[in-house]
Amino acid sequence: MSIASKTFADPRTTMPTPPCPAQPASARSAMTRSAMTRSAMNRSATGALTALAMLLLAGCATPPPASDPEAVAEFNQTNDPLEPTNRVFYAINDGVDVVLLRPIALAYRNAVPDQVRTGVHNVLTNLSTPVVLANDMMQGKPRRAGDTLMRFVVNSTAGVAGIFDVATDMGWPYHDSDFGMTLASWGVGEGPYLYLPVLGPSNPRDTVGYGVDIALDPLTWVGKGNNVDNLMYTRIGLSALDARASVLDDFDKIQQQALDPYATIRSVYRQYRRAKIRAAQDDNRATPPLWATQPQAAPVSR
Amino acid sequence: MQTRRTLLAAGLAGVLAAACTGTAAQAAVPDQAAAFIQKLLQDLTAIVNGPGSTAQKQAALQKIVDTSVDVNGVARFCLGRFWRQATAQQQKDYIALFRQVLMNNITGKVGEYSGVTFQMGRAQSRDEGIAVSSIVTRPGNAPNSVDWIVATEGGQPKIIDVIAEGTSLRLTQRSDYSSFLSRNNGNVQALIDALHRQTG
Repeated sequence: MSIASKTFADPRTTMPTPPCPAQPASARSAMTRSAMTRSAMNRSATGALTALAMLLLAGCATPPPASDPEAVAEFNQTNDPLEPTNRVFYAINDGVDVVLLRPIALAYRNAVPDQVRTGVHNVLTNLSTPVVLANDMMQGKPRRAGDTLMRFVVNSTAGVAGIFDVATDMGWPYHDSDFGMTLASWGVGEGPYLYLPVLGPSNPRDTVGYGVDIALDPLTWVGKGNNVDNLMYTRIGLSALDARASVLDDFDKIQQQALDPYATIRSVYRQYRRAKIRAAQDDNRATPPLWATQPQAAPVSR
Repeated sequence: MQTRRTLLAAGLAGVLAAACTGTAAQAAVPDQAAAFIQKLLQDLTAIVNGPGSTAQKQAALQKIVDTSVDVNGVARFCLGRFWRQATAQQQKDYIALFRQVLMNNITGKVGEYSGVTFQMGRAQSRDEGIAVSSIVTRPGNAPNSVDWIVATEGGQPKIIDVIAEGTSLRLTQRSDYSSFLSRNNGNVQALIDALHRQTG
């Protein structure tokens, strides 16, 4: 990515003229520190520090001139004030993806039979049910919470520890839910776009949600010790693999067809999140007892 | 993780990367729009699942796209505010290239769509036209919800947008072009050159 190479090639020349309004104070102090202790420090470490500080300092997108109202409107709608920084992280993630994640995901898809991969996916989905349930409840969606609870009960037992998704066929289809959506249902706005290292597209609301979801997960708090840790890392690794493998074709398509994949992913992420939040908020099915007349099934929302 | 998974499934978008609108499009009647989409999906599935060589299927798909998608309107929408900055010749070049890219994207992987099935959903009025819902299922993939936005263009119902898993294809395409143009000083010729390279 050109931004990345520009930032790293010669940090001194990329110093932004106006200081970034969103500039974190820590970035400034890191910068000063690295400048003061330069002589004492290993040269490459200083370089890395300076690059990082520059990265944070240079993180501000330049708004278009006020004389071009259409461009200004577009800039505000894009709402990506940290775009230069975001693009650097995008470039890094993309690089890691090309040499590491994508090849592993391809190998996984080619080497492991479909049924096994589906089973792995179902187990992982089942393990995440407690978090989904908690968020359904916090969003005040009893019917969705009921669906999630029944899925957990049925799939953990009849579905053999979650390997088979029998609940969907019994009328309890899967839906996703997370604390970012819960915050949205409480009226919290998404905020500016963020592209995070490792995690990818996000925004302040969904980033907070991600952290809260980890804290909400009972498995986060299960015991200690090597076995537990190993199982935990296995789960994280498999989740990443499962997620990456499931989007192989779609992601390849974006990379091939988009002129600016970064901007396309930004747009897709936003639209997708908004649609999901809307679907959850519009799901106002009643919760009558089994012997009463059942309301019509809600539109499929995953 | 599920988020990312489905998110990018939405990017499947590329599949039927149709749809952007003209401004003068009139709203169609929901029933008509639903009938139009149902016929279209029947034709599409008949082609991709039917006999015939890849080339024959591609030709048939191309014909359907030309008759049922408002390609010019979509192209114009996707260029957004840069449309007026383009010269007449650039507008002409751009539309031709846009159509070519769209066709390549839709017909390029026709083989992958065999076995595809669909279920019709409801049709309802929206600001931009009639939204006809459907569930499209490819073998070995989770079902995708796809909304077809239909408007009346010159007395004919035409598709002006496709919304896959909540992601509008024309909006996504427009943000791609607009970001590309912003990074190329708003030079429409740079976009045309890039599209030239894409179509080979």
